[in-house]
Amino acid sequence: MTDQTQKTILILDDEEIVLKRLKPALEKNGYLVETFSRSQEAFDRVMEKNFDIVITDLKMDGLDGMQFLTLVKEQSPMTEVIVITGFATMETAKSSFQKGVFDFLAKPFKLAEIIETVKKAEAKLDQDA
Amino acid sequence: MTKGLEPIKTYLTRLIQGKIVPITVIFELFQNILQTNNRILELMADMNDKSGGDYIFDRQYILSASREMNELVDRLIRDFNLLAKNRYTDLGKVFLRISEEIETELSGKRISASPPYAMGMDAAGVALADSVGGKAANLGELKTRFGHNVPKGFVITTSAYRKVIEGNLIAGKIEKITGRWRKGSLTTSNAASEIQEMLENARIPEPVANEIRSALSQNNNSDVARWAVRSSAIGEDSETSFAGQFKTLLNVPSNKVLPAYLKIIASLYSESAMEYRQEKGLHENETAMAVACMEMIHAEKSGVLHTLDPAAPEDDTMVISAAWGLGAPIVSGKIRADRFRVSRNPPYPIVEMDIIRKPERLMPSSSGECAFEHVPVEMQTAACINYEAIHRLVETGSRVEKYFKAPQEIEWAYNADNNLYILQSRPLNIRAGLTRMVCDISDAIDGHPVIFANKGEIAQSGITSGKVFPVKTDEDLRAFPDGAILVARSASPRFAAVAAKANGIITDVGSATGHLANIAREFRIPTILNTGIATKVLSPGMEITMDAQENIVYSGIIKKLCFYEFIEESFEDSPEYRTLHRILKKIAPLSLTDPRGNNFTPAGCRTYHDITRFIHEKAVAALIHFEPGKSGEKKGGMVTRLESDIPIDLRIIDIKDGIVKAAGARKKITEEEIRSMPMRAFLAGLGSMGWWDTEPLPVDFKGFMSSLTRTFSPELASPRFVGLNLAVISREYANISLKLGYHFNLISAYIGENINDNYVSFHFQGGVTDQLRRDRRAKLIAMILEENDFMVEFTHDIVVANLKKFNTGQMLKKVKMLGNLVAFTRQLDVRMDSDGQIEKYLLKFNRLIRNPVSDSHAADENVTPKNNDGVQL
Repeated sequence: MTDQTQKTILILDDEEIVLKRLKPALEKNGYLVETFSRSQEAFDRVMEKNFDIVITDLKMDGLDGMQFLTLVKEQSPMTEVIVITGFATMETAKSSFQKGVFDFLAKPFKLAEIIETVKKAEAKLDQDA
Repeated sequence: MTKGLEPIKTYLTRLIQGKIVPITVIFELFQNILQTNNRILELMADMNDKSGGDYIFDRQYILSASREMNELVDRLIRDFNLLAKNRYTDLGKVFLRISEEIETELSGKRISASPPYAMGMDAAGVALADSVGGKAANLGELKTRFGHNVPKGFVITTSAYRKVIEGNLIAGKIEKITGRWRKGSLTTSNAASEIQEMLENARIPEPVANEIRSALSQNNNSDVARWAVRSSAIGEDSETSFAGQFKTLLNVPSNKVLPAYLKIIASLYSESAMEYRQEKGLHENETAMAVACMEMIHAEKSGVLHTLDPAAPEDDTMVISAAWGLGAPIVSGKIRADRFRVSRNPPYPIVEMDIIRKPERLMPSSSGECAFEHVPVEMQTAACINYEAIHRLVETGSRVEKYFKAPQEIEWAYNADNNLYILQSRPLNIRAGLTRMVCDISDAIDGHPVIFANKGEIAQSGITSGKVFPVKTDEDLRAFPDGAILVARSASPRFAAVAAKANGIITDVGSATGHLANIAREFRIPTILNTGIATKVLSPGMEITMDAQENIVYSGIIKKLCFYEFIEESFEDSPEYRTLHRILKKIAPLSLTDPRGNNFTPAGCRTYHDITRFIHEKAVAALIHFEPGKSGEKKGGMVTRLESDIPIDLRIIDIKDGIVKAAGARKKITEEEIRSMPMRAFLAGLGSMGWWDTEPLPVDFKGFMSSLTRTFSPELASPRFVGLNLAVISREYANISLKLGYHFNLISAYIGENINDNYVSFHFQGGVTDQLRRDRRAKLIAMILEENDFMVEFTHDIVVANLKKFNTGQMLKKVKMLGNLVAFTRQLDVRMDSDGQIEKYLLKFNRLIRNPVSDSHAADENVTPKNNDGVQL
């Protein structure tokens, strides 16, 4: 795996446990991963750097996930966004499809599921490129 | 589901209007109870499943799952008390207590000043880390998992610490001092000594002192007893290891344990600990210290084992330091020690050794202190541990590492009788070195073909490697080698016997909600179940690496992949996992296993599972002992009896068009007069020839039968009529409760025009023989149901299976199969004396299904169910 093909991923979730478990699992699969638990900080980072894939929760304090992903898409339309959300907020998640979300997963999800989704997003990026 | 309940609603309306008999109310409550009961079991299985590491769950999940559980159990109790006319109001009190405990867990306010102030080392564990501190939590786990290797003792909890702080009114003072220290107006040294002085001179509140004294006497408070009194702060011996920052006092006599306790808790405010907390961003008011009191081991030799050399992880070796006497001076670097480098792989050959002269050793003295003394000349230059002792040590170390999923630093000792003790174990912080090693996983995997991927379910997450060892018989289990990967066709709970040895488990069939899955989680053995092909593609002795995180099995041993797991913080250490684990302890364990037992009472219920089980048993009893006729029912809701060759006494309540009109008013009806589609299908399956096992039952069956006569009225005591059974039916619906002997079957089905409304659920519970045989029968039932497309949840002797959205013809076939199954498995648990029987009876069942010879009912046009189009099933 060379550096040119290594995809960058930003993960935003206000629950640390999600970040702690996703980061090493995605790194193990060869991705470069940055994690944030505060949406404002994640957004500041997105303004500095375009990520290939953004994984975000929807229900958070402050800037909510929906606003965040809208801003991400404005800033960097090529970025593929994967929404991870609790079962209860699934309806909101579905409406976010119109904003160009690649896919969404209801929490709790299996590690293998999210890795598969990320790989699909990666394949789409490669195809578009 | 809703359609099936509609007639009940109608009856309820009519009841309010005074037109209907109470049996329908009873049935409606019963139906609700069963539905809630099933949902509780499903949710319990779901929460258990999440605790295995395959899922990423967050706090939100724990909150919503726990709250749903609370609501369900509350509803169950309410419905049941209506059914049982408030005879069991005590259940409400039990519920209140458990739900409050769960709320406390959820609120995160775990460190209170309330008891227990002391608890046995056996009771300590990772789930209680906030109460017993990190060190005791680890030791408690090891004591439970590895038994004799940990010294006897007890833990003085963090609640005791809080009580001391509260009782001496020093919380505010500590806060003031640390506040000034953070602002810089007080040096660390001054702040530390002021707080330490307060704590060392504190008065131990009487309730705390009493519990400590009582714990001492329960262990060994004789004059000769000596204690190692060790710090066990929150977070100590975990990621934030605080290594060596707190005090340990050795060789303390029982009557000096109380002042020793104060000295240890005072060390929570040592200079280095305060600075460490500040550096790590840990709040002063979140900190608390538990204290472990362990009996002194009369160590002949002691030392430290690193299960992976931190200086050279790529060498794949363990490193042992060993010296005569107590190990403290090795840890603090005061004396030199023998060093052994040993391979990490069985049979653990010694790679290198360095034996030095050891002129001094630290020994406990009679005064209650420790002192250095000269080592006899002939021992000074001798290796202080032999090959056998090294082997036992590294084998134990390897198990501990596997369990904690990280390389460990283990303090150990051998006494004069050559018994090995683990004094403490903490993770080695060598992430940096390992990250360098395994930075590129794709390179590591190169050249290792994938044997299979994404087959089956992960019951316990983790990465491991080893040689394949297939297990078919008990003989195989006995021969199971250390560090092998267990490969088997079915997921037998008997594998618990080798849980401490197995590196991993892979099976062809099984479920992540089953019994073996729970064992795998308990022992944290990476486990993949239900792969379908494991026994076919994994041959004996084959070296494999299993990644039970991503569900991939590779050919060959991929060391780097295994090390990868060490880099990650294991999910078992996360507060979320520990919270879920603690909550599950209040929900899932089942202690009310025997309905005839003395503890089968509301007060005997310890967990939600107990409450659920109790209510289920009593609700079924209420319905079965309901005596029709007394309520004076006249029209709808009439109870009739089925007249049939099938050896089962079945009462039928028709709620709408379930039987032909002409038969509606009679006390007895025939199978031909039933119009309910699912009921007919079930009876067709139940009555098929060859399914009622007619082989003579073992002798002890007589005893079993005689016990039944005590419970059931004399007319039911003949072998043909065991138990009393009830079916509530309509044209499209059947709800059939069967109490056959001591087990209970519930079949509920709605089969109508709309494919989306169609469902069949099957619930099985109980049995009369020992737990193992009942488990085997439940296992057999689960396997048969799985083979027949049902979604199956399975814990111990409870099987819940559901099937939805098949077309009418297919649904009726499944219901007929359930009839076959009930007949087939009726008494099987008595015969289930080995796991081999599961396979045998599974084959027999399949044979009968394929080839229903001399099935006279099937040939009988009148009995064979037809779907709405008149197609024979």
